[in-house]
Amino acid sequence: MSTVIEVTDVTKTYRKSEALRGVTLALQPDRIYGLLGRNGAGKTTLMSILTAQGFASSGEVRVFGEHPYENERVLNRICFIRESQKYPDSFTAEHAFKSAALFFANWSQELADRLVTDFQLPLRRNIKKLSRGQLSAVGVIIGLASRAELTFFDEPYLGLDAVARQLFYDRLVEDYSRHPRTVVLSSHLIDEVANLLEHVIVIDQGRIIMDDDAETIRGSAFTVVGSAEKVRTFLGGREVVHSDNFASLASVTALGTLNESETREAAELGLELAPVSLQQLIVRKTMSASPASSGAADRPLSEVAR
Amino acid sequence: MNRVVKVMRMQLANRWIFIGIPLIILAASFLLTLIIWSFIPNDGGVRISGGSQAVMWYFFALGIQSLTLTFPFSQGLSITRRTFFLGTLSLFSLIALITAVTYWLLGLVEQGTGGWGVGGSFFALDWIADGPWYQPIAFYFAVMMALFLIGFWSATIYKRWQATGLLIVGISVALALVGTLYVIGSRNAWPEVGAFLGSQTQLAVAGWFAVLALAPCRRFVPHPASGRALVGSAVKWNRPRHAESVPLPTLLHRIP
Repeated sequence: MSTVIEVTDVTKTYRKSEALRGVTLALQPDRIYGLLGRNGAGKTTLMSILTAQGFASSGEVRVFGEHPYENERVLNRICFIRESQKYPDSFTAEHAFKSAALFFANWSQELADRLVTDFQLPLRRNIKKLSRGQLSAVGVIIGLASRAELTFFDEPYLGLDAVARQLFYDRLVEDYSRHPRTVVLSSHLIDEVANLLEHVIVIDQGRIIMDDDAETIRGSAFTVVGSAEKVRTFLGGREVVHSDNFASLASVTALGTLNESETREAAELGLELAPVSLQQLIVRKTMSASPASSGAADRPLSEVAR
Repeated sequence: MNRVVKVMRMQLANRWIFIGIPLIILAASFLLTLIIWSFIPNDGGVRISGGSQAVMWYFFALGIQSLTLTFPFSQGLSITRRTFFLGTLSLFSLIALITAVTYWLLGLVEQGTGGWGVGGSFFALDWIADGPWYQPIAFYFAVMMALFLIGFWSATIYKRWQATGLLIVGISVALALVGTLYVIGSRNAWPEVGAFLGSQTQLAVAGWFAVLALAPCRRFVPHPASGRALVGSAVKWNRPRHAESVPLPTLLHRIP
């Protein structure tokens, strides 16, 4: 199947800052993408440009093969509720859902009703008087019930309690498996969403620093725990991303994969091998990319990324 | 269903805003006027009230709100700028037309009852109500549309260029007005201006209001070839090629 989103060398410059720098991406249909990065990394800017709510300073954007700007054929298939989504002052959640039902062809009122019960959302209360969490719930419900072919969730969990967040993740996976579509979930709570994601895009200071299968990324590094000296011998010349030392013990995260004999060797040395969490890996990558940002800005992307 | 009609229905999701509240404002201002008339001693003269304009100012506020709040919401529902503009404009035209006809009908009642029995004039104001039936309707309609669109454009300028933009436009308009006054004064042309204003019919005034309200539409429509608006051409703007066929006020294009 053809790609849903194609972004080529997109930059976005504000008067004094660069929000996006040379972003190139291709998103395939019917997958769940995680758009991860720190606050202000450019996640919302990128999503705004993809949905024609914002404009790129340069570069090409294609959504469903066409430019999304003022393009009903494309926009009809997209749903993007911003993290700071505004609603008319006079609206209640019910008004918002009724309006959404008018515009999304695949809207499921049944799912919306169920989510309202799940999130215990007051339907008749003025939207202005909803709490931050309830406001997020309104956005989450519109996003899920729209069943749009391409749905963006922009930090949808803000203000939601742990139970509500879990509910959102569960409902997303449940409805996604029944009605596959392309989902882009922007988040900085990486561990929470890690299990949902099939593909991970990490953005930092306007650059894509990681764009890979979630499985590939998880397998791209490992952690060894054991006596510091043995760990050092075992790792040899491997690139170390992070190391923690407690007395004579060390826990070191290194890049690369281990083959069978290496795994056996580790066991013989009495070293413990552990998988790396997505969050740890991304934090390390982001931190190693950030301090050098002034220099890194001139380096080619591939060097920073892999 | 047509998406433009859907935008109208979205705007009407809360009926109070466009229907209920205007009716209450109209009824309240009319009743208050009647009460005031009742305690002014009746010397047989005509009592004039400007209370009928209360609803129109409410439309000015609605024009602002429909852009600052309903527009961002419409973007969340993936409505194009063009559809949003057409739908909102259609709804306003419809409501302005209904209001204008209502004013005209109530004006007829007013004239038929000798100014509600107390010689008052609230709907059928002198001059506005003179002449054929379509004149007052056109006048009220144009005034309302002008107020709504001025609110809408101001909000657009605010969204695009924030307070600075609004200040610059506001000060420019004020300067232009003062300049006009100065020119008229320095040429001792006030009598001619007075004669000109006095000679205007309701239809002509309606026309002037239409020009005032629609001027930004025309001003800001982009030139197809250059992709730049006449106004604001100083600001470089990369318009996607696809948008060239979209006849829409450029200002609306530019709201991020």
